[in-house]
Amino acid sequence: MSKVQSTLIKAFVSTLRRDLLIAYKKKNDLFNPFMFFLIVATLFPIGISPEPEKLSEISAGVLWISALLAALLAMDNLFRADYEDGSLEQLMLSPHPLYFLVLAKNIAHWLVSGLPVVLVSPLIAYMLSLPEGAYVTLFLTLLLGTPVLSLLGSIGVALTVGLGSRGLVLAVITLPMSVPVLIAGTLAVTQTQNGAELSGFLAIMGAMLVAALTLAPLASAAALRISVN
Amino acid sequence: MDWTWFHKWGSPKWFYELSGKWLPWLVGSMVLCLTVGIVWALLFVPQDYQQGLTNRIFYVHVPVASISLAFFPLMAIAGTVFLVWRMKLADVVVKVAAPLGAWFTALALASGSIWGVDTWGTWWIWDGRLTSLLLQFFLLLGVVSLRTALEDSEGAARACALLSIVGCINVVVIKYSVDWWNTLHQPSTDFSIAADQANGPEIWVPLVFMILAVYLFFAISLILSTRNEILQREKRSQWVMELVKRS
Repeated sequence: MSKVQSTLIKAFVSTLRRDLLIAYKKKNDLFNPFMFFLIVATLFPIGISPEPEKLSEISAGVLWISALLAALLAMDNLFRADYEDGSLEQLMLSPHPLYFLVLAKNIAHWLVSGLPVVLVSPLIAYMLSLPEGAYVTLFLTLLLGTPVLSLLGSIGVALTVGLGSRGLVLAVITLPMSVPVLIAGTLAVTQTQNGAELSGFLAIMGAMLVAALTLAPLASAAALRISVN
Repeated sequence: MDWTWFHKWGSPKWFYELSGKWLPWLVGSMVLCLTVGIVWALLFVPQDYQQGLTNRIFYVHVPVASISLAFFPLMAIAGTVFLVWRMKLADVVVKVAAPLGAWFTALALASGSIWGVDTWGTWWIWDGRLTSLLLQFFLLLGVVSLRTALEDSEGAARACALLSIVGCINVVVIKYSVDWWNTLHQPSTDFSIAADQANGPEIWVPLVFMILAVYLFFAISLILSTRNEILQREKRSQWVMELVKRS
């Protein structure tokens, strides 16, 4: 392995470790998106109907929309703290391609904010009376889909990182872009209920994840170069 | 290869003068096409035996809907030109095209709704085309709101150029995924009425006139708002001051 490659991997790993460490020290950021997911999912039975038959029809969509909103809310602190204390600029000054550093930050961020949501989703699904056979589908599609949501969101966050109040702009930019993931995720659940093969849906979501992993950090890195002068 | 023709586009002044010469021709031909198209479509096209007079909105809806699909590619191309060559004019186009595109998309949705209320009996259905056009509308508003939030700095120009490129890719993905969602969710809507209609030349020739008219209208409104924006941005430069003094 050449020297350049090994230092690149080192930079990647240390960015990842640093972000995870910061998240571990600031447990509040870790906890909030998770709580938000639980609360939003709870609002639907209260707002629509507590009857299990009705709930089981909408449960997959409710879980997906709650996960989408939780991901959006969590995105806000992807670059903000680093932007405010100046470490983002240091990151950009490093000789390594920003693509990999942004990717490392994205992965750390998903592990902290996205993965807990995925892990707790079967519990919420049970409370929303998701149909028996749909648990595996829901869990796997969320596992493949939430990283895509984070990666797409990071483009919007990178574009708006310099703004004081950006919550709404971020939502307007990011939410329409998330529609394909939402469609694939909810369709997978409803269609496998009707006897369709799960593997096809997983392949499509896997393709989305690969495309997002390759392209989104490029756009995020370019956006960061624009936003941080 | 001689690149001067390309570099000329970097000068807002050059574009302002050139487009000033184009405008009368564009407006003239638009008025001609619009008059011929509207009169023909509204008075002389035979009535549809099922839809009656309502069907005539077809001659407005189809051109507007087709041009509204051109905005994201236009903004992505202009955005790329701006990011690569730092051409000020390209950013002006990205800036004015976003709200203009939102208007055209809204117009396409509105005219479609008016047509739909009579033929389908409802103002809105979650049909594939309607849904993806609605999402395109939201994405365009996103570009507008990003520009407003960043307050027109140099950074805003580059950020919006980037967002236009990302949005253009996204519109395509959304289009396909919505179609896929739609075919799996509900039986496809019967759009064939419009297709069956376009048989005889007395039906489609006025449509060609209307499409030309709307495309010219699009070009004119784009040029006018671009000229406006150029004047705003260059208001401290010598040539704009002279222009103001002369008028």
